[in-house]
Amino acid sequence: MTDTQWPIYEVFHQQARGDPHMYVGSVHATDPEMALLLAKEQYARRQACVNLWVVPVEAITASDYEDADMFAHETDKSYRESWGYKTPKTIRSKDVDQDQSS
Amino acid sequence: MKPIESFDDLTTVTRDALVDLLYRLGDDELVLGHRNSEWTGLAPILEEDIAFSSMAQDEMGHAQVYYQMLHALGEPDPDTIAFSRKPREYRCASLVSLANDKNWAFCLLRQFLYDASETVRLTALCEGTLVPLAQAARKIRSEEKYHLMHGRSWVLRLGNATDESHERMQTALYEAYPHALGLFEPTAADEPLTLAGICPREEELRRQWESAVAPVLADAGLEQPETAQAAYGGRVGHHPESLTSLLNDMQIVYKIDPAAKW
Amino acid sequence: MVTAVANELNGLSPQEYDHRLAEFEARINRGEKIEPADWMPDQYRQQLIRLIHVHANSEICGALPEGKWIPHAPTFKRKMALVAKVQDEVGHAQLLYRAAETLGPSREELIESLIAGKSKFSNVFHYPSETWADVAIIAWLIDGAAIINQAMMSEGSYGPYARALKRICYEEAFHMKHGYEMCFTMATGTRAQHEMLQEALDRWWAPIMMFHGPSDKVSTHTKLLVRWRIKLKTNDEQRQQFLNQFVPKIFDLKLTVPDKSIRHDKETNHWHYAEPDWEEFVRVVRGGGPMSRDRIATRRMAHENGQWVREALAAAAAGRSVPMPSAN
Repeated sequence: MTDTQWPIYEVFHQQARGDPHMYVGSVHATDPEMALLLAKEQYARRQACVNLWVVPVEAITASDYEDADMFAHETDKSYRESWGYKTPKTIRSKDVDQDQSS
Repeated sequence: MKPIESFDDLTTVTRDALVDLLYRLGDDELVLGHRNSEWTGLAPILEEDIAFSSMAQDEMGHAQVYYQMLHALGEPDPDTIAFSRKPREYRCASLVSLANDKNWAFCLLRQFLYDASETVRLTALCEGTLVPLAQAARKIRSEEKYHLMHGRSWVLRLGNATDESHERMQTALYEAYPHALGLFEPTAADEPLTLAGICPREEELRRQWESAVAPVLADAGLEQPETAQAAYGGRVGHHPESLTSLLNDMQIVYKIDPAAKW
Repeated sequence: MVTAVANELNGLSPQEYDHRLAEFEARINRGEKIEPADWMPDQYRQQLIRLIHVHANSEICGALPEGKWIPHAPTFKRKMALVAKVQDEVGHAQLLYRAAETLGPSREELIESLIAGKSKFSNVFHYPSETWADVAIIAWLIDGAAIINQAMMSEGSYGPYARALKRICYEEAFHMKHGYEMCFTMATGTRAQHEMLQEALDRWWAPIMMFHGPSDKVSTHTKLLVRWRIKLKTNDEQRQQFLNQFVPKIFDLKLTVPDKSIRHDKETNHWHYAEPDWEEFVRVVRGGGPMSRDRIATRRMAHENGQWVREALAAAAAGRSVPMPSAN
């Protein structure tokens, strides 16, 4: 028998308008439209869904896990975060520089 | 025409015609759902197996809706209706009774022709005067939307793909078409249902159906059988032998003890 | 220590191999998942392919004994639920073959291997389903046993397999509840229904007791699988969990199990049972079961019967001339 392996499409679904699309899995399909039709029943026959994306697997370029260390925040990056900034809720007199009262 | 809010507002004649219609609708759905479910686990590719099984479940669910309506009209409960009647008491068209014979082209095309007819009919029922039926039809139609997309996508692809697929689809179309016309077999119920504004005449639905399927079949490169003789009889209880064996299969466990719960 | 076989080095020096292996095992010990692009020992890859392949085959062959009863389901609810359940099994096969594909082989290759009789599937699906009660027993007890296995495996180390199993477990929960409802209804129904259910249980008991695989004393695979978190419990541990969970409920339904020696030791919380016939198990999974040939022949028929369809759609896509129809 000749090989009838179909290409792979990755499937993303959106549970409700406003939600981000989430990766749910793959289907084998011959073209994008068929992939959508087939993904609908494999990935949305129970879960709520308002929208599906299908993407040919070759269209995805992934970073290498070997390079995962480049995502690590090894030096202080607290200045990027709201929690990196601390000020008192009210200004007490001792917080104010003496220079201002003279 | 004035909407009919409740079954109680129907005249006896209209009520009897409605019962006849609901048996036709429900039996078509049940028997086709059963036929499609015979593919579960055996379809040409896993993803399509799942899609086709969902459609089988949908059709069975639609049958249940129509049978529940019959029950509200004084007929037995849905399980009794489905599992205890004799073949001649069924009102389905021969299209749905025909055996699958492992023939994917035929089953797919049958499903497409059927879904197109259902969409035409449901649209008419949604616009009809009988409120409970129009409400049910709207729910069912939302599921039919996917069925029709599915059917068109497959028919367009298989009709135009390889020589083999084209030939199989063309053969299937010649085989299925007369039986599909049988979905619109005129019955004595046509007149009262049309007069009450519940459902148009079968011949009118047939015209709408023909104009819905013709462009898709043409796009699929399939030749529409022009001289097809409609296969009638299903609506009055004359069925192909295949329905008898289907019902034997369907009712075998139920009949071990119809009074038992399963 | 695992030593690399020569062809596994793939150009790595033995020192480098040891280093990679140590990193790989450290990752697993930290509870991290292994992803398809990661380096992994060949043995890990091969064991996983074998395991996921058998699992996927089992789903698709498992669809057959139950699928046979879809046309005979006796009520609307049972009929629709059984189609939905068998549909789920097909869906699980789809997810699992895909997980296996991330390790190398294509789905087509995996299916061709199944229908050539070159790869295995679960022992329980080599037996016939003789009555409607078998459907109830399969859904309750075999799916129940499978959940124990799959919930464990879903915590395993290989990312794609673990993710597929999370979803599968969610769906199996419906199967098991539906199965128990069927068993409950028949067990509390007429005398004939109760007898039918008891007979089904009698037929299925031995295959179910073998479902989790050979006793730890004889199983050859377990040790390495546990070390690499492909498997987190031994076969016997899973069997004990199954007995704990299900035997009391079986007795509640006024059913008996065809094993006179079965008893629970409260002190050790351990079930004693007659050791299954492991020779039968080996014979069955190697294709010597009552339905082995039939299952493979049916899968082969389905695959060959669908060949023209798969070819045609691929051809249609190559032309790319087919428009997507609108819904209206």
